Amino acid sequence: MTKAKRIDREAGRAYWMMSLPAFLVYLLVMAFPIALSVVLSVSNYSGGKMFGGEAWGFAGFGQYARIVQDPWFWNALKNNFYIVLISVFGQLPLGFIFAYIIYRRIVKWPGFWQGILYLPNIISIIVVGLLWQSIFSPNGPIAELVNLSARHQFEIKLVAVLGSQGHLNLGDDALSRIIALGGPQAANMFTNPVPELRDLIAGYQPNQYSQLLNDLTNLFVTRWTPDFLNQKNVAMLPVLFVILWMYTGMYLILFLANMQKIDTQIIESARIDGANEAQVMRHIILPALSGTIVNSAILAISGSLSSFALIFALTGGGPSRITEILSIYMYNNAFLGRPNFPLANAIALITVVISMLLILVTKAFESRYGGKEE
Amino acid sequence: MKKVIIALLMVAGTFGAMAQVTLNVLNYQQADQAGYQEDVQIWQDFQTQNPDIKLNMEVLFNDPYHQKLQAYAAAGTLPDVFYLWPGARSAVIHEKHLAKDLGKLLGADYLKDFTGAATNPNNQLGKYLAELPQSFTYTAVMYVNVKLLKDNGFAVPKTYADLKKMVPKLKSKGIAVMMLPDKDGWPGQSCLFSTVAGRMAGDAFFDNVLAGKAKFTDKPFVDSLKVVEDLFKDGIIQRTDTAVGYGDGPGIFAQGKAAIYLDGDWRTGAYITDKASGKALIAPADQSNYALMNIVALPGEKFPGVASAVAGTGWAISNSLPAGSDKEKAAVKLIKYLYSPEVQAIRYGTGAYVPTRKGVKATLEPLPAMLPPFYAANPKTCYVLDGVLDPSVYNVINNGIINIGNGTQTAAQVAADVQAAFVTWQATKK
Repeated sequence: MTKAKRIDREAGRAYWMMSLPAFLVYLLVMAFPIALSVVLSVSNYSGGKMFGGEAWGFAGFGQYARIVQDPWFWNALKNNFYIVLISVFGQLPLGFIFAYIIYRRIVKWPGFWQGILYLPNIISIIVVGLLWQSIFSPNGPIAELVNLSARHQFEIKLVAVLGSQGHLNLGDDALSRIIALGGPQAANMFTNPVPELRDLIAGYQPNQYSQLLNDLTNLFVTRWTPDFLNQKNVAMLPVLFVILWMYTGMYLILFLANMQKIDTQIIESARIDGANEAQVMRHIILPALSGTIVNSAILAISGSLSSFALIFALTGGGPSRITEILSIYMYNNAFLGRPNFPLANAIALITVVISMLLILVTKAFESRYGGKEE
Repeated sequence: MKKVIIALLMVAGTFGAMAQVTLNVLNYQQADQAGYQEDVQIWQDFQTQNPDIKLNMEVLFNDPYHQKLQAYAAAGTLPDVFYLWPGARSAVIHEKHLAKDLGKLLGADYLKDFTGAATNPNNQLGKYLAELPQSFTYTAVMYVNVKLLKDNGFAVPKTYADLKKMVPKLKSKGIAVMMLPDKDGWPGQSCLFSTVAGRMAGDAFFDNVLAGKAKFTDKPFVDSLKVVEDLFKDGIIQRTDTAVGYGDGPGIFAQGKAAIYLDGDWRTGAYITDKASGKALIAPADQSNYALMNIVALPGEKFPGVASAVAGTGWAISNSLPAGSDKEKAAVKLIKYLYSPEVQAIRYGTGAYVPTRKGVKATLEPLPAMLPPFYAANPKTCYVLDGVLDPSVYNVINNGIINIGNGTQTAAQVAADVQAAFVTWQATKK
């Protein structure tokens, strides 16, 4: 054996000795769960001891068929696509623009803005979820502010009917007008609206006019709640807003860090040659950062499809499942009620496949239109 | 000689170590609820009294508990002793018989000290005594603020019409007539609708549905949902309640923002004095201003007075423990300790539940003391729907009640959705 061959064999042995432990750990921690997930998704495993317990085996692709027939899967997928869209076409462009503004020092105190925009990232996801949940709640600050104004407007209308002098002997017409102010649901509260309202008002003394005004407002004012968020088509809007608010700062940091690697002399010479800020961004910064943009898009897509905690804390998939996303759909099938592990694993694998497809599309887009990063 | 002594000591040490049995316990405990300190003490006392049994304890609460139990079941590493639900919430354990039959293990002589409802295996999903229910739970109780009603000129309501009459006056004072925090979905079904359906449709209707002789789109079920629809439409329950979390309910009710609060009997524990902090949501002196009542008479009800009730949670022993082994004996010893009159009296006293163990006495604050008379006054019970229907079906009911509350679905639409879910479930079962 020549010396060179011996060295090659020793190098090979050393390579395997050093890489084998990591490879085995990879097999155990990464490859095995993925393979098991594939196996479970086509099995009839129904809980209990997985190895050495009740026998289970191949059951076909019924769970996949069940998923595609389930309208809640399509609802969850649609919601996930909204998140992908807001991430790729919201967080990334905004993050890029903010990074550019800070990098080019177009605003004063760039460090301050950088910190402010990144701040949501350092707050616990659960805290963020609960915080925004209370903001959007029917008893939250937005609703309270709107209701303060609504009460004031209602009181003005009520005074117009009652009269400012405060006499409480109201005729049927005035009573009907008060009930009408409360809208269609006001009549539902009474069996005989006019006589019952008269009885109610009769319980007040003339010197209790302001109390009566307050109580009638309580009774008839239509309390505003953000109930439009219970509608299927708009329920995701606050979720998307919070996602945009939370993660834009992360991409800002990524873009800013990469912008700072660009040779400033190129930008300065472009400016001397007469390029404006938009041209600098279009012809220098964007091409230089195309790789970073693609990597950020991959992060955004995979993060969007696997996101769970924020939406779980914010809406829990509700009301009535309309903000459910794939991970919550999977969680509900795996852990709530009677668990269906094959179904949950099939959902997980479908999510992975969708994620990979979107990443491939992004890569293809970048290789077709992207510039070359230095 | 010296070597012999050392060898003997080592052997003695080995036997000593073998004599101690280690039990893995998965405990269900909420650290911020009244009674937590007493519960911790219960476990410490067992450990002190039984140095030969070492408890290796893991404590979880709410969904994380259920997830961990499922994961343990899947891995075949169930703890030796764990907390269990009698129905679909712990379906895998029951269906796969992963818990020992306590009926056989504890024996009839021991179980005669418990109520018949607790020891009836038919009250559990697997039709065997996988756990010994510590209580028999009424899931729909009206917590009535009698003083608040009286201050506003109302007596304790008896009928739906009584509730409706209260709406204008109470609403004008900024007070809700009845509160049902239903953001989590299950309270609407468990703490209201099960009783409504029991009154309007009856248990036989659901037996017929399960046997394929009736449908959820039939009149009795739709009428039951219409009652819920009316409760929201008439302003008795506020639509915003569908956005109120279950945990937030007692605090809001204790502040006097609702005259009546709908919840299960287990919730009395939320209002009484927490021994650790000395604080109570409703001070003991004020608790007599409240009453516990069955849901009022409903228009068109066929089965007056029934209330939804189900066997409660309890402790179970893993089926993996070899019969007659030291571990099994230690687990039985622990179970018997947990169900002893002394421990049950402590749990009763903290408002956790009214024990199924007969003759347990405790010093109670006024609110939990109202439970035994409440049970006595309402002996007719009906199904809790999440105890008899598959989760894929009852979850549609839960969501449907939220939608009815939000005004985004009608009773008929929800009934159609439930029937569709039922048909799908039946198809997958085949």
